[in-house]
Order: sequence, then C-alpha cells, then structure tokens
Amino acid sequence: MNSKAYRLVILSLYVAMALILSYIESLIPLPLPIPGAKIGLPNIITLVSLLTLGWPLTMLVVIARIFLSGFMFGGGFSIVYSLGGGLLSLLVMSLLLHFFKDKISIILISVFGAISHNLGQVIVAAIVVQTTSLLLYFLFLMLLAIPTGLFIGITARELMRLLGKTTIFAKLNLPQKK
Amino acid sequence: MKKNEIIIIIGLLAVCLVGIAAFYLINATNEPLSVRVTRQGDVVAIFPLSEDHTETFTDASGSNTLEISGDTAKIVEADCPDHICVKTYPISSPGETIVCLPHKLVVEVITGES
Repeated sequence: MNSKAYRLVILSLYVAMALILSYIESLIPLPLPIPGAKIGLPNIITLVSLLTLGWPLTMLVVIARIFLSGFMFGGGFSIVYSLGGGLLSLLVMSLLLHFFKDKISIILISVFGAISHNLGQVIVAAIVVQTTSLLLYFLFLMLLAIPTGLFIGITARELMRLLGKTTIFAKLNLPQKK
Repeated sequence: MKKNEIIIIIGLLAVCLVGIAAFYLINATNEPLSVRVTRQGDVVAIFPLSEDHTETFTDASGSNTLEISGDTAKIVEADCPDHICVKTYPISSPGETIVCLPHKLVVEVITGES
C-alpha cells in the first residue's frame, strides 16, 4: 500500500473515532452549574492527529467531525459554535507545537487547546447574540477547561505512548521524526 | 510534565479564580437590581428583580419563558433543541447571564431601577 492511501485510511479512522467520542460525550451530562460545558473527548483524536499527520490534515479531521456530529447529534446551529471553538483550538495547539516543540508537553498543549476552544465558542456566541457580557461565563468555562484539558492531555499522551509501540504509524512520515 | 508547566497550569487556575472573584467584587452593589432581556443586542424588556414575574418571549425562532421569583431569574421553559438556557442555574448577581443561543436571547442581571 502506498503511503498516500495509508494516510487516507488513518485519516478516516481518526474522523470515525472522533465522531464516536463526540457521541459518547453527548451521552455524559456533566453535573455542573455551567451549561454547555463538555469534557472534550474528541480532542484526544485532534491531539493524536496533530502529532502524527500534522495540522493541514488535522484541520480536515476537525471540520469533518464537527459537520458530521452537528448533523447527526446536534442542531444545525451548533456547527457554527463548534467550528469557532474547534478551529481556534487547533490554531493555538498547532502554533504551540510549532514554536515550542521540545519545550512543551502534550498535556499543556491540551490545556491551552481546551481554553482556546471555549474562547472560540464564546467569541462566536458573543457575535451571534451581540452581547459583551459573556466574560463571566467564559471565566467559569476556563476554570473547568483546565482540569478537563489535563485529563484529555494525559489520555492523549498515554494513547501516543501505546500507539508508538505498534507499527501503525511506521508507514507515515511522522512530523516529529523529520 | 515539567515543573514549570505545573506552575503555568496553577497560574492559569489562579487567573480564573481571581477573575471570577474580581468580577463579583466589582459588580457588588446595594442598589436595586433589574433583569434585562435582549435579543440580538436589542433590549426587549427590563423587569425589577425584586418583583415576581413570569413572561414568555416569542419570535420567529421560538419561545423562552422567563420567571423572576425570590430575587432570582431563570428560564423555566424553552422550545430550543438543547435547553441549555433552562439548565442554567438561576441568576441573581449583577453581570450574571443566561444565554439561549438558538433564539439569540440574553437574560442578564443589571444594576439600577428598570
């Protein structure tokens, strides 16, 4: 199998797994007074994809996941907010990975990704409802994003460690091996 | 994870907590409070928080029922798909908000008479 086809297979697997995680996440309501807060399970896949495929293909994974899960589990309007959060989060994580590659752990990248995900969603929401009074809401979301980001980061690091032992990624040109 | 990363995370947590505390301290007041309902930036209605009141706001996108009782405001009913506004805890301090994204409705507690 040539590496282009192999990459496509991995890419589709990521989209499928992220979609399943989105679904599982929608089944787990967080018993918290912060409405709309989520654990961010699909971000595990985003992180793994970012580390193995690089940001251009990861953007495809994120966009595909958001559109598919938006049509399947959420209302159509939720896609706009998810896109705002997902893309800002991806941008921040890609930049961190690019500039501090050796100095930063996956866990910290995940925490910053979680915070910027909330920031992106709140910015889109503030534009849509035309209000500036969502700052308090964002601070509460950010407070929650730190522990969930830590959890997702640790999960992604362990997943990478285990996947690294397999030969799944051997045919990919891993960005970190350049 | 290195030591300075733990410090960064603790720093972020501190920023959040200080931000939330500062928000409540700055907005703390003895003045009478009101509840303002806005849709896409346009003020729809303002009610005093001290008087019990129930009203339904309806437009093309759907309806939300606001209930003010015992100095707190909350959305008791909505026909949006996610019901996030209904799940939001009742608000009572200035600056707190309830947002219904599908209906573009914002309910917030403000300082001052209506």
